[in-house]
Parts: sequence; C-alpha cells; structure tokens
Amino acid sequence: MAAKILVVDDEIIAIRSAERVLRSEGYDVEGVLSGREAMLKLEQNNYDLVLTDLKMPEVDGITLIRWLRNVKPSIRIVVITGYPSQETIKEALELGIIDYVPKPFTPAVLSDVTQRALEWRKCGCEAEKSKEEIPPAMLSELDRVVKEYKNKPGSLIPVLQRAQEIVGYLPPFIQKRIGKGLNISPAEVHSVVSFYSFFTMKPRGDHNIRVCLGTACYVRGIEGVLEKIKDSLKINIGDTTENKKFSLEAVRCLGACGLAPVMVVDQDTYGAMTPKKAMEVIGQYDPSFTGATAKEEAERQLNKEV
Amino acid sequence: MPRLTVGDLQKIKEKHKAEFTLREGGYRAKVTVHMGTCGIAAGAREVMTALLDEIANAGIDDVIVTTSGCAGLCAREPLATVEIINAPPVKYCDLNAEKIKEIFREHIMAGNPVEKYALVVGCETMY
Amino acid sequence: MEKVRTNLMLCAGTGCVASGTAKVKDALQKELEKRGLEKEIKIVLTGCNGYCAEGPVMAVYPDEIFYQKLTVEDVPKLVEEHFLKGRPYQKLMFKEPEKKTAIPMMKEIPFFKHQVLRVLRNKGLIDPEKIEEYISRDGYQAAAKALTQMTQEDIIKVIKDSGLRGRGGAGFPTGLKWDFASKVKSDIKYMLCNGDEGDPGAFMDRSVMESDPHSVIEGMIIGAKAIEAHSGYIYVRAEYPLAVKRLHLAIDQATEAGLLGKNILDTGFDFELEIYLGAGAFVCGEETALMRSIEGKRGMPRPRPPFPAHKGLWDKPSVLNNVETLAQIAPIILNGSEWYRSLGTEKSTGTKVFALTGAVNNVGLVEVPMGIPLRTIIYDIGGGIRKGRKFKAVQLGGPSGGCIPEHLLHTPVTYEDIVATGAIVGSGGMVVMDENTCMVGTAKFFLEFTTDESCGKCPPCRVGTKILMDMLTDITEGRGKESDIETLEDLGRDIIATSLCGLGQTAPNPILTTIKYFRDEYESHIKHKWCKAGVCRELTTFLIDEKLCKGCGACLRACPSKAITGEKKMPHKIIQDLCVHCRTCYDACKFKSIKILPAKFQGDPAELEAVLEKSKREAE
Repeated sequence: MAAKILVVDDEIIAIRSAERVLRSEGYDVEGVLSGREAMLKLEQNNYDLVLTDLKMPEVDGITLIRWLRNVKPSIRIVVITGYPSQETIKEALELGIIDYVPKPFTPAVLSDVTQRALEWRKCGCEAEKSKEEIPPAMLSELDRVVKEYKNKPGSLIPVLQRAQEIVGYLPPFIQKRIGKGLNISPAEVHSVVSFYSFFTMKPRGDHNIRVCLGTACYVRGIEGVLEKIKDSLKINIGDTTENKKFSLEAVRCLGACGLAPVMVVDQDTYGAMTPKKAMEVIGQYDPSFTGATAKEEAERQLNKEV
Repeated sequence: MPRLTVGDLQKIKEKHKAEFTLREGGYRAKVTVHMGTCGIAAGAREVMTALLDEIANAGIDDVIVTTSGCAGLCAREPLATVEIINAPPVKYCDLNAEKIKEIFREHIMAGNPVEKYALVVGCETMY
Repeated sequence: MEKVRTNLMLCAGTGCVASGTAKVKDALQKELEKRGLEKEIKIVLTGCNGYCAEGPVMAVYPDEIFYQKLTVEDVPKLVEEHFLKGRPYQKLMFKEPEKKTAIPMMKEIPFFKHQVLRVLRNKGLIDPEKIEEYISRDGYQAAAKALTQMTQEDIIKVIKDSGLRGRGGAGFPTGLKWDFASKVKSDIKYMLCNGDEGDPGAFMDRSVMESDPHSVIEGMIIGAKAIEAHSGYIYVRAEYPLAVKRLHLAIDQATEAGLLGKNILDTGFDFELEIYLGAGAFVCGEETALMRSIEGKRGMPRPRPPFPAHKGLWDKPSVLNNVETLAQIAPIILNGSEWYRSLGTEKSTGTKVFALTGAVNNVGLVEVPMGIPLRTIIYDIGGGIRKGRKFKAVQLGGPSGGCIPEHLLHTPVTYEDIVATGAIVGSGGMVVMDENTCMVGTAKFFLEFTTDESCGKCPPCRVGTKILMDMLTDITEGRGKESDIETLEDLGRDIIATSLCGLGQTAPNPILTTIKYFRDEYESHIKHKWCKAGVCRELTTFLIDEKLCKGCGACLRACPSKAITGEKKMPHKIIQDLCVHCRTCYDACKFKSIKILPAKFQGDPAELEAVLEKSKREAE
C-alpha cells in the first residue's frame, strides 16, 4: 500500500509542486493550506508522514507539530521551510521532527528526504540508538554547529554543549563525529566529555530532574527528598526510569539556596521541597505517577489479591 | 541604540529620569516585581500577571509596572515594591495573585498601604 | 577626644543618595571645616527614614530637627544659621506628615538596618534587561571616566589604594593582580570573569549576574583598560540559565551602544567580550583550571608559577576576577579609594556580600561592611535560628571552609579573623546549622563533595581525600576506631601541605574545624556508637519516654514505616525491628518525648548514664 502523506503549506504553489513530485513516486498525497485544516484532516484520517511549512498565519508549523506530538505521536514529521532560523529548527527538533527541507527544493531532494523519513524506524529503546536512528535533521544541525565553530580555538566544550542540546546526550559515535569535524582526536573528546559532569553519555528521559545537594539544601533535609524520589521512581542517581519519562541527577548547588531544599525539573526551579511536595511536583509532569515505592506497590498488590 | 559617546551617558540618564520617574514622567505609581531565580520559583510570574490583569481591567495608564532582580530576602519571595508619588516605597512580601489584587485596590488605587502584607517602608542604605 | 556636641544624621538610603546625599555630605564637610566646626559637629550616614520623596533628608541630634530636600547651594546658609548662630533654618525644615502607617521602616528592621549596598547597589531597582536603566543609575560613568580621564597607572592606584581584595575566596588584592598583568609586555592579554560559582551555599554571583549584569561588564571594561587587554570572557556555570540569558542580552546591548567592541565611547579603546559556558566541574573555579577549560580541555589546575599574569589563557597574560569583585570596581572609580575604605577594617575594606542560608529565619543575600561580628549577621540580619532551635555552628567558605561554633560568634568578618578560626571567608556562603545537624555528617558531606570534584591530577588530593572519606564513612556507620581522630588530623595536615591547588589545600578544612570545635561528637560516634543529633542512622536508637508521652498520635501518623503503636492518650511505643531511624517521629513530637539514644540501646532512657558508664568501664 502506498504511504499516505499530508502536505501543509499556505502557498498553493508549494503544495502543487510537492504533489507532483511525490505522486510520481507513487505516494498517496493530499495538501491543505493551513494548520487548522491540517488538524481536521489529521483527526479524521491516518497518515504516515506530514510535510509542513513553519511560517503560516493562525496556526503555525510549530503549533501544529506540538499538537501532533500529543495527539498522534506516531506520525512522522518533516519540516519544509523558507526561513530555517536556528531557533525554530531547534524547537522543531526538540519536538521530534525527522528532517527538514529548505525552500525552494529540488524534486530530487524532496523525494530523497521523504523516502528516508518513511524508512526511518523509531527505535523503542533509546539506549540502543545507533547512528541510523538519529534523525538526519539532527545530524545535519550538528554538522552545521561543528562547521560554525571549526576555526575557533577552544571550541570543543561549546560544541559538545550544543550537541547535547540537539541530540539530548553524547553517544560515542556523536563524539567521534564531533572530533572528526573539529580535528580533535576521539580520545581527547572522550576525556573532556567524561571530565565534566554536565555531559552525559546516556540518553535522558522526557523530563530531567536535578536534585540540589548544596550545603543549604543538605542542612534543610534534601537527603530525605532524594531518597523518596529514588524510591518512588525506582531509579538511582544518573538513571532514567523504565518508561523513559524521568531521569534523575544530583547536582552540586543550583545557587538557589534561599529556597532550600531545591530541585529543578527541566528548567523550572522548585523550592522548599519535602518528600511529599516532591511527589506532587513529579506528578505534574506525569499524571500516571503515583509516588508509591516498590514496597508500597507490592503491598497494594497483595491487598488487592486478598 | 546608536553608538554612545561619553556625553550621551548623562543625556540618557536625564531622559530616563524624565520618562520613568514618578514626578517627571507624569506617573502616579510604580510597581516593581522582583524576578530573580528564587522570585520566579516562588511564583512571581503569577503575581505579575494578576497585577497586569487588574491594571488592564481598571483601564488606567498612570501606573508603571516593571521587573527587577532579586530583592535579597529569598525567604519571603515573591516580593514587590510599590511606590506612589510623594510617598516612600513599600515592600510587600509572601505575595500571591489574591494579595497583589488587594494591594492594587487598596494601595495603588486608594493610596492606603496594606499593612498586613507589608514588610517594610523606605529604601535600602548605600554609601 | 573632643566632645561632639551635634550629630548630623544624613540619610544614605537609595532614594536620598539618588537625590544627591554624597554631594551634600561633601559640601557640609567642607563648610563645617571652613567654619572650624568639624570637631564638634559630626556627620553620620544613616539608613532610610522613610521620607524618600523629600530626600536628601537629614536629622540633627540632639536638637531633633529634620531638614529636607537639601541641596549643595543651601549648605552654607544652613551651617551658618543653625550651627553657628543656633537658629534652625526654617526654609528647609521638615513638616512631619500627619498620617503615619504602622509599617516598619528599613532602619527599624534588623535585616535591612545593618546592610549597606555597594555591590548590590541596583538590587531590585533596575530592570536588568534594559541598559538604559543601568545607565540611569550612573552606569558606565566609571568606564567613561577610566577611558577618558585616567591612565592605566591611575586606575591601578585607585584600586590598590581602595584595599579591594578578590571576593572569590582567597582575598588576593585586586589592584596588585592588575598591576602584575599590566607590567607584562604582550600584544595579546585577556581580562576574564569567574562566574563559575561552585561553592555550595553561595549564590551572590548568580544574583549579581541576574539582577545587574552591566555592573560586571563595566568592571571588566575598566580592568581591561588597566591591564591593556582587548578581549575577555565571562565564564558562567551552565546551571544558571537566567544569568546566562541576561548576560548575553547585556553584552549585545552594550556592544550595540558602543560600550563594548571597537572604539568604545569613541575613545579608541577596543574590548571584545564573550560568554563561555562552564560544564560542571567545581575545580574550574581555580584560576588555572578555568583557563584550561576555556581552551576546551579538561579543567585541571597546573602548578604556579608561572602565574596567569604572565602565562594564563593560551599562555598569554591574563587576569581573572570574580563577579562580585568586578561589580565593586565602578563605584570605586567614581567615588575614590577613600570612600571605599570608609567601611570595613584596615585590611579588609569595604563591603562583602554573604549568602545567608540554612537554619536561620531570614534566608537571603545580604551585603554588610566587613568587620561586623558573625553574631550580628546571624541573629540580627538573619533573625536567629528557625523554629526556636539552638544554634550549633556556622559554615563559611564551602568545601574549603570550616565550621565556627557559638563561642566564636563575636568574630568580626574579615579575611584575617575568619582564617584564625580555621574557616575562610571564601566566596561568602554562610550556612547556619542548628542542633539537629551532625557535625561528623557535615564533615563527611563536604568530603564527599571534594572527593567527587577532585580532578585527580595530584595524588595527595585524589587518594588522600578518598581515605579521609572512607574513615568518616566508617565513623558514621559505627566502625570508627579511637585512633581515627588523630589519623584524620595528621592526614588532613599532610594533604594541605602537599596538594597542587586550592581544592586539595583546603579540602581537609571542614574535618579539621569540626574536630577542633566538636571533638565530643566524634568521640561519641566512635566510643558510644551514638549520633546525638540522630542523623547517622546506624548510630541511633529512637525510644519514647513513656513518662513524657501524651499519646497524641502525632508520631504514629508521621512514621513512614508504621513502626509506632499505641492507643490514644496512652504512651506510644516504637517497634525497634520496624524502625528505619529516619527521625520523622522526633521532629513530629511536640512534647520532646522521643529520645535519641546510642545504637542498640535497650531499657529506660533514664538509665542512659549508667549504661554509658558501664560500656566505658568494659572498654577499659
């Protein structure tokens, strides 16, 4: 069966040319002129791939992508844009698009990207992600960053920081790619990655929980909070939960001692934590989170059976 | 901003004074919401939003709302400073949306500082 | 000493200062000297009276007369009328407002009363994202002065004379540092800012970068001129996203306004400034390590000499100053070194910002003249200990510092006096600990930190801290030996003597000071297997004193492991097999009926003494 593709663009010419190219490749293509129309279509039908513009009146591309990630996360998305500003591309990448095509595009590029996007299989287990499973858009963004910094002295750490922003973590092949790009030996790249606690070689969950182990937090009882979080998420510091929702990190002082004990989820700081409050905060990020420890869950199970 | 010369610094200072201070700028009141990391974590954004809503609802344009960094007393965040023309500034602490609405009605509109939420009156020492 | 007959209390609140307190003070001083009155009439700068709209205001004591809206022009007449002829000067006299609110004034609240803002001069007053607001409070005036009216030598002399010392930890004189670098000949030099605030418990640098980023940039421009550097970096922790954002914005705005980049303020001076994000390594706070990190390498310190003033970043002469130090520079350039020295002590001049946290009521960021006693900071500004608990120690200087006990709270905060206690001023983190803190546990907490952050280059630090850490773990888990205390002290001193950089040279400080002042806690951990604070779980037994228990059930409800039983209004009991020693019940009990006793203690809490005596005899 032919793959079903939805093209979203406020310019009719762009839709027409995409249709022409992709139909000749044998795909089933439909086009809509606005984000709102696209939502209606997407609600009613199933598609394998959405090609969308970013700049559109009313519902723009980012809004559409965000909505789609929530409603139908399995649909693959490729961005077609005339204005690939770093900010929007970064945002789109964070939302999980597979690739982007700059406008105007040649037929060859469009059919190539479409084919790759359809073949790209999302891997269920993040930890085993290999080179093939990193979306090409991420890699080309990474290469762009490497190129930008190439001739600047001392650029390894900034590049690694950007790479971690783009990919989420720094697996060995990413480190190699960066080393090659900057003309630095892989060993040196690895030695820097392993030296700084900011860098991680393991993939993180959807939400990153950082618990502050500063003195003020210690004096005001962060240890109890940390224990409770570890027990309830059933992970240790540095690990990610089984459902890939949360990762847990311990950090040396977040500099928010006035709010001690403190934890940060993604970019938001939460102060005056108690074990109970920490559970409520985590619950905000995952409605299915109960805060129960393994022991409590076992007890509950037992009670149910009785 | 165009490139500045030494003389421009003084001009900017005077212009700013003329536009953003109560007496010279023609404003009646100025509210500063303190938004450092701790203020934001304690809920300063909600306080700010509530205040802006109140001002919009009241349809007034002689009150300046501005943000600033940490006020120093992290334990009592969110903090805001309310300054009415011809009166010393009053710092309010432990704020929330409800409290700032009351402060808006009582202090900013009616001119009576809300004692129960106020921390201190006046400004800090520097020399 | 001549008798002062009159005190002129001139308000130095932000409002009055903005209206011209400084100029009025100078004019008054000159006029009094002219009339030969300077010995009998003294000018005192005071905190805010709450008459900010009428400023500058001045109160005359003992006459109790208030003057308002003082100007330099009024001063001669005022002095002549009031202080020479003894007739209060009607024109400027202040009419007290009829209605007064019950809200306390700044000078009545200890938290504000003892503070003087210099570094934090724009605290809560400007929008950090608008350069105009910084300029409106005399921003970049000092840079303009330094670039147009001062030579390199002039700048260095003012900073040297001011006595300003590096606020990052070591307290090295800033002027001297600049002097060294300025004298080295090189076509390329670097001016660097250390915003890698790593000490747990310190957050003043974050606050300054967030709330007044231009003050740091201005300090760097002046420093760059002093040492003749044309490029610089601000090294900031990636953990401070808001600070990073606001610094970026500030640099963009300053560059656009011609205050950074080529030909600053049309003076022909160039200075390019960039931000470099740290990647989370405590050791990068050390200057040589930080420079290695900017070079894109592992942030490991290297031996000195050569000092960075000769060979720093990329082997070029470099100066690294801390955020707070740089924020002090502009006002010193504008007001002069004498002004700066008017606060503080002979060797520790000016003000210092402290991050006051932990078990105090008023947690916050405070700026005080150096030399005020610790007690004033903790009890007046900090409002005493939370929940009416007892003070145990105050920790200064983070993992490089030490714990100061109650009997030394009279110590003035100066670099020298604090070092004499075994702690250091450090970057200014001041963490107050109450009776519920275990000092052995605290030492272990800091050692965990340094063991983890040791970069591993030199063996004394890498291996030594690990051994100390293992010994402390043994003590807190009940495997301590009597000889341990002495071994900790000996090994600690060896590590201090032989480590390569500041991290290792100070890492044992938390252990040494806690042994020095809280030896009894180490002894009770080792000899009696008893952590009296109830923190070390293996060294406690929680028992309910049945005579004190009212049977209210608070502990029963609080216990997470359901280890407490008992009927209402009847004494409760802890089932020892279920107890996880978490201390929740201890904190929940309002009647102090829960006792923390040595590990595996059985029987009546009242018999504790006898049991201890017995175990002591057995040991002998």
